[in-house]
Amino acid sequence: MKKTFKPLLAVMLVLILFMTSSCYKQDLTASDKNEKKKNIEVIVKSRKMDFWKTVRMGAEAAGKEFGVNINFNAPDDEEDVAEQIRMVNDAIERDTDVLVLAASDYKKLVGVVERAVNSDIPVIIIDSALESDKVACFIGTNNVEAAMKAGEKLIEYAGEECDVAVISHVKETATARQREEGFLKYIEKYPGIKIVAKEYAFTSSKLAEKITADIISKNKDLDAVVGLNAVSATGAARAVSKLGMAGKIKVIAFDSDPEEIEFIEDGVIQAAIVQNPFSMGYLGVKYAVDIIHGKSVPKVVDTGLKVIDKENMYTPENQKLLFPFVN
Amino acid sequence: MKELFRKQVRRLIESLSINFKLRSIQSVITLSFTAVTILAMGFVGFTLYNKFSETAEKNASTSTQQIVNQVNINLEYYLKSMIEISNLIAYNLSSNYLNQGDRIKNLLEVTVSARNDIVTLGIFSDTGELVASTPASVVKESINIKELSWFKNAVTHPDKLIFSPPHVQNAFKGRKRWVVSLSRETNANISGKQFNAVILVDMSFKVIDELCRSVSLGKRGYIYVVDDHGNIVYHPQQQLIYAGLKDENIEEVLERSEGSYIENFNGEKRLITLKNVKYADWRIVGVSYIDDIMTSTKEISSFAVFVLIFGTAFAVAASTLISAKISHPIKKLEKLMRRVEKGEFDINVEVKGEDEVKQLSRTFNIMILRIKELMNQIIKEQEEKRKSELKALQAQINPHFLYNTLDSIVWMAENGKNQGVITMVTALAKLFRTSISKGEEVITVRDEIEHARNYLIIQQIRFKDKFEFEIEVQPEVLECKSLKLILQPLIENSIYHGFEHMVDKGKIRITASRVDGKLLYEVVDNGLGMPDEVLKKVLKNETVSESGSGVGLKNIHERIKLFYGEEYGLEIESELEEGTTVKIWLPAEEGGKNGGGMIEKDL
Repeated sequence: MKKTFKPLLAVMLVLILFMTSSCYKQDLTASDKNEKKKNIEVIVKSRKMDFWKTVRMGAEAAGKEFGVNINFNAPDDEEDVAEQIRMVNDAIERDTDVLVLAASDYKKLVGVVERAVNSDIPVIIIDSALESDKVACFIGTNNVEAAMKAGEKLIEYAGEECDVAVISHVKETATARQREEGFLKYIEKYPGIKIVAKEYAFTSSKLAEKITADIISKNKDLDAVVGLNAVSATGAARAVSKLGMAGKIKVIAFDSDPEEIEFIEDGVIQAAIVQNPFSMGYLGVKYAVDIIHGKSVPKVVDTGLKVIDKENMYTPENQKLLFPFVN
Repeated sequence: MKELFRKQVRRLIESLSINFKLRSIQSVITLSFTAVTILAMGFVGFTLYNKFSETAEKNASTSTQQIVNQVNINLEYYLKSMIEISNLIAYNLSSNYLNQGDRIKNLLEVTVSARNDIVTLGIFSDTGELVASTPASVVKESINIKELSWFKNAVTHPDKLIFSPPHVQNAFKGRKRWVVSLSRETNANISGKQFNAVILVDMSFKVIDELCRSVSLGKRGYIYVVDDHGNIVYHPQQQLIYAGLKDENIEEVLERSEGSYIENFNGEKRLITLKNVKYADWRIVGVSYIDDIMTSTKEISSFAVFVLIFGTAFAVAASTLISAKISHPIKKLEKLMRRVEKGEFDINVEVKGEDEVKQLSRTFNIMILRIKELMNQIIKEQEEKRKSELKALQAQINPHFLYNTLDSIVWMAENGKNQGVITMVTALAKLFRTSISKGEEVITVRDEIEHARNYLIIQQIRFKDKFEFEIEVQPEVLECKSLKLILQPLIENSIYHGFEHMVDKGKIRITASRVDGKLLYEVVDNGLGMPDEVLKKVLKNETVSESGSGVGLKNIHERIKLFYGEEYGLEIESELEEGTTVKIWLPAEEGGKNGGGMIEKDL
């Protein structure tokens, strides 16, 4: 017994120490390798507009911060609902963990989004709402309120008795619907305001320009144009500017692409309702990451809005909102 | 279900407690060894961990400080280069050299061409007119240069270099970029016209960004720059800050002096290192997350816990083995002891193992051997006792003696010696009464003496007054306890061996007294005595005379010793022709105690 005892003990000691160190090393490496990068699909309405570029910046900033892959996709054209549906379908087939979507159509995307939710891909909707209660979260501007602000600005600049044209973008998308609703609701109280035209420019500022020029030529007494998104507003401002009506026909705009900013500076656009696209992109991805980590996310997030005019556009506060910071 | 579970748990606990008695040597050794190991490891681990984390924190703080200092040096160097550009332009403006617009433009172009971090380099007159710029720019009609803060500040502080907070440069047509503007007022002398000019250098964030990003402060740490009004000049997540999605604790940064401190920000501990930048009223803020920079501490602590767990497991295993090793021989001895308890004495432990165990095994063996011997001895002694008692019993009714006595009585009766017959028969009767003495082995000295007296009376008559006797008893010993029938064989010896061949009249003297707290009988005769060699043997050998009761001296001696112990017994002094003295030592026990006598021997 005595003779076998000591070697046995020594062997045990070595064995245990060896086990200890090797197990520990395994522990360390295991925790590193286990975390595969998550894929977050961000699908927005269009590649062209600056608005969506800023959304992308926000999404990518969050992707970098939280260490997730961002797959950014958008149809070339905002009206191309079919293409967007196809993109969502693609994302479902791919290894997608969470889908962040700005729906081109309030209704047509419900089917495919619910398919994604049913295949265990949570969906976060940004900017443009979707008619579905299966989405995890909506992040965007309160568009009704934004349009009411536009109405308020209209009255401020054009008075309570005026002829106004409304240029909207895509009829079926939620932003358009809600902005129309909010705007109409606001001016309801003012019987002196007459809507002489309501047209859709889709995603073409040229179309918006043409529509606006037509309306102006048909309505000599037109006092104001309200453009319900960047494209519509830019087109409208261009028409007003080209016809030399700057200042005479007031333009109330949405969003803040560089051309619009120029028009604000030049006094063609009197006021713009500016949203916060960077926050939409950033928060969309941030909450997607939260969902991946099992945290609860708010059902609705309002990213806020600002009314910008020529006087306040270069305040430190507003220039931060109007001009995305690029190093 | 619950009941079943409870039962199983109970069974488990029972089986555990059977295998692991809490007070056993093994468990005591195991527990204490384990406890000591854990305590020692815990103490060492804790101390080392504390020391280590303290050092790590210091190191982290120092290295962060160094990194921030390095960034500061680079940033100052960069600002210096910008200032030098403005100096160069200022120098050229004040000299006569630049009297043509083209030359100014050339100068600006040459200066900027080498670098891509200058967005705009411009010269304005004090009235706000653009004198020259590169790239060539047009000031917007809607913009009044004199209203812009970088221009106003340069004019109101003519001797200062003004670094603006980041802003969108909106003075020029077509370009709207975030820049930091360096502006200063200087004297210009162009085409012979003297005036005050404002030089504008719009820097992009490219270089600042590169400088601040090139260093790493742990995994998530970063560096940002604020100016003295709390405006963030540079931040790696500047747009997040601008969009209100991120926040920094700038108030505290402005309050604190240079150096480092730890703040609690959004529930996370961060090490903030501050460094002032020369030239501009900027401050470099190094942010590192304690969790990040102290990863080694975390690793160490988890490693320590890991080692502690395994160490404990090892200590338990090792101490179980060691304690098993130590307690094994003891357990073996315990098992053997159980067998001994049950009366099995044919056991021998193998003597091997450690010194103590060897010694213990040896002693155990000796002990068992000794017990075995003692047991055997007791058995033998008990046998002998029975034997001698039997012999004493025989002595009570020695048929030979009875025959002789009765013969003498008959003889006396025939000769009409009535008085002699009466005396003899009376004595005989008394003798037997004492002999019987209700079957008890212990009687009083009074009875024993009485027995001896009656015996002597009978023998005196039988041997026709061939001897005379004398009995002397201290009254105080009369009630002492005495073994029965121990005097008679001695008297018998004196008569048969001492007087038989003697011509003179024999004398027997019997005494009983207390000496040294013991009871002493003495039987003294003046008979023939014994030669020394006989005297030596008489207490050791069975020398039974054919005549007499057949009860030898040795027998009495043994009987007394068996009964009272080794210190009691017979002592014989004898001298040829002079006589013999036999002393009987007994314990002096007062009567009253029934039975008395039996002294237990230590076994």
